[in-house]
Amino acid sequence: MSVYKHEYRAYAGRLTTPLARIGVLTRYAYAEAWASRITTALFVVAFLPIVVYLVGIYLANNPLVRTIILRGKDSFISIDASFFMRVLSSQCWLAVVLTAWVAPRLVSFDISDNALPILLSHPISRFGYVAGKFTALFSFLSLITWVPCIGLFGYQAYSSPVLWAGSHLRIGAGLLAGSLLWIVVLSLLGLALSSWVKWRVVATGVIFAAIFVPAGIGGIVSAILHTRWGFLLNVPVIMTQLWQRMLGAPQIMAGELTLPTGAIAAVLLLLCALSVAMLNARIRAREVVRG
Amino acid sequence: MSVIELDGLEVRLGGRTVLDGLTGQLHGKAIGLLGPNGAGKSTLIHTLLGFYTPSRGAARIFGLDTRQERARIRQRIGYMPENDSFIGNMSGVRFVRYMAELAGLPAGEALERAHEALFYVGLGEVRYRKINTYSLGMKQLIKLAQALAHGPQLLILDEPTNGLDPVARQRMIHTLQEIRKQGEIRLLISSHLLRDIDDTCDEVLILKQGRIAALSNIEDERRSHRNFIELEALGSIDLFCDALRALGCECASFPGGRVKLIMPDAIEPHDLYRVAHENRVEIRRINSRHDSLEDIFLRAMEAVPERRELVGI
Repeated sequence: MSVYKHEYRAYAGRLTTPLARIGVLTRYAYAEAWASRITTALFVVAFLPIVVYLVGIYLANNPLVRTIILRGKDSFISIDASFFMRVLSSQCWLAVVLTAWVAPRLVSFDISDNALPILLSHPISRFGYVAGKFTALFSFLSLITWVPCIGLFGYQAYSSPVLWAGSHLRIGAGLLAGSLLWIVVLSLLGLALSSWVKWRVVATGVIFAAIFVPAGIGGIVSAILHTRWGFLLNVPVIMTQLWQRMLGAPQIMAGELTLPTGAIAAVLLLLCALSVAMLNARIRAREVVRG
Repeated sequence: MSVIELDGLEVRLGGRTVLDGLTGQLHGKAIGLLGPNGAGKSTLIHTLLGFYTPSRGAARIFGLDTRQERARIRQRIGYMPENDSFIGNMSGVRFVRYMAELAGLPAGEALERAHEALFYVGLGEVRYRKINTYSLGMKQLIKLAQALAHGPQLLILDEPTNGLDPVARQRMIHTLQEIRKQGEIRLLISSHLLRDIDDTCDEVLILKQGRIAALSNIEDERRSHRNFIELEALGSIDLFCDALRALGCECASFPGGRVKLIMPDAIEPHDLYRVAHENRVEIRRINSRHDSLEDIFLRAMEAVPERRELVGI
């Protein structure tokens, strides 16, 4: 084609690799997410706790502060597993808010405008489509979870007057693994639920509901039947228990209410499998007619 | 090499056989896909695109199997779906660029060709507007633009004139005729409108109840019936017919002075006037009748196609 001649011109140039085409989906998904000012606002809010924690680490390790303000007493805040448990919890729950806002923007436009037949008529598979969107959401959530968490860990290791990092490697590994696990679950769940709801606002509500409504039901079940197993439906509880074990932080819940790690892993696996099944059923160029 | 090759293609959806043993080769520059609603036209297109997997048999595009070489096939295909299918909050140029990048073009090339494709289909002036502000005709054209942008070898169009007013329809038909005339892209056009196919295609595949009812070259069909004449005359019709038969024409007379005849290639129309003059017959009206696509379609619809059998027309 040519603008001035209005004639068709076949394309004979080089082609990108299949992997790069998944990157195209990721890039456009990113642009779509950042097109909203609310995304920017939420992103800024998600960094406020990090600034507070950063100041906390600075004060805790600064000899001048200890001398002048604390008058030689021990640090007013101890930088340990409990501290990083608070960091991880706050960032991971802020990630839920961002997922509820961003995930519907990545998928709902394609679903509501019936763009899937055109998107999937290009040399990109359904897996490639989901992988592209997943990568966008996963990397987006990474920026507010494990990246700043590891950054704080590194800063503490740098600021500490004693060799701190070597004796607290479990905290670093726990921060990384706990964050990654959570944002994988969150990304899959967010995309799956968004693909089933055409309206973005409703999809946002559904994502919150999917996490907190079962938690309420689980609490009721546990209270009525006097069993701890109802807490398996309570994602905040099971994730808190899992993160505590990963970081080596003290358990908050009473011993009889703690859940086995295997059961928690099974619930998370089930949640991921359910999300993948939902995506598999929904991300299609055409719906299969039954009957 | 044939553009599309069907080899006993069977597609079952939800326990129902939608395409039943389609066999045939399509070679045309512009292939029409005709059939009543529910005949399996869209299912065939979706199977060619790899959206549906054949339960039996195979379909090949440019020799590539739709089951095993989906990505390579999609690289060579531009697809314009029947229903609205776009991302409404994107501008026209951004959407077409996105689709071209997904087809494998580098970002710079994709942007350049997105602008070109939009000018080519006539949306150049509105390319920065969001698609959800476009009229129905513009939405059809943006689907065509995205299908063209990556330079496909085969353009698959599912009901391209759906919902268009006469002016927009004429514009779409003109664009398709231009594409066909330039000859770089093969076209597969699905429609239930005979006129659209008649205006744009040189080969037609007619489906009925998931089977091939007819596969025919429209130009050949027209040429084979080019000497079919209908006329009305006053005078001695029987003598006139006898004289025409003596010339080698097949001739039949009807009440009211109507005559239908098939002329051999050696006979020219002015011979008719000469014979009429010799027999004192006055020709009042003469029609040279072509076999229309409608005739082909109606004959195909009357026949009950057997599995794996092409109906002669």
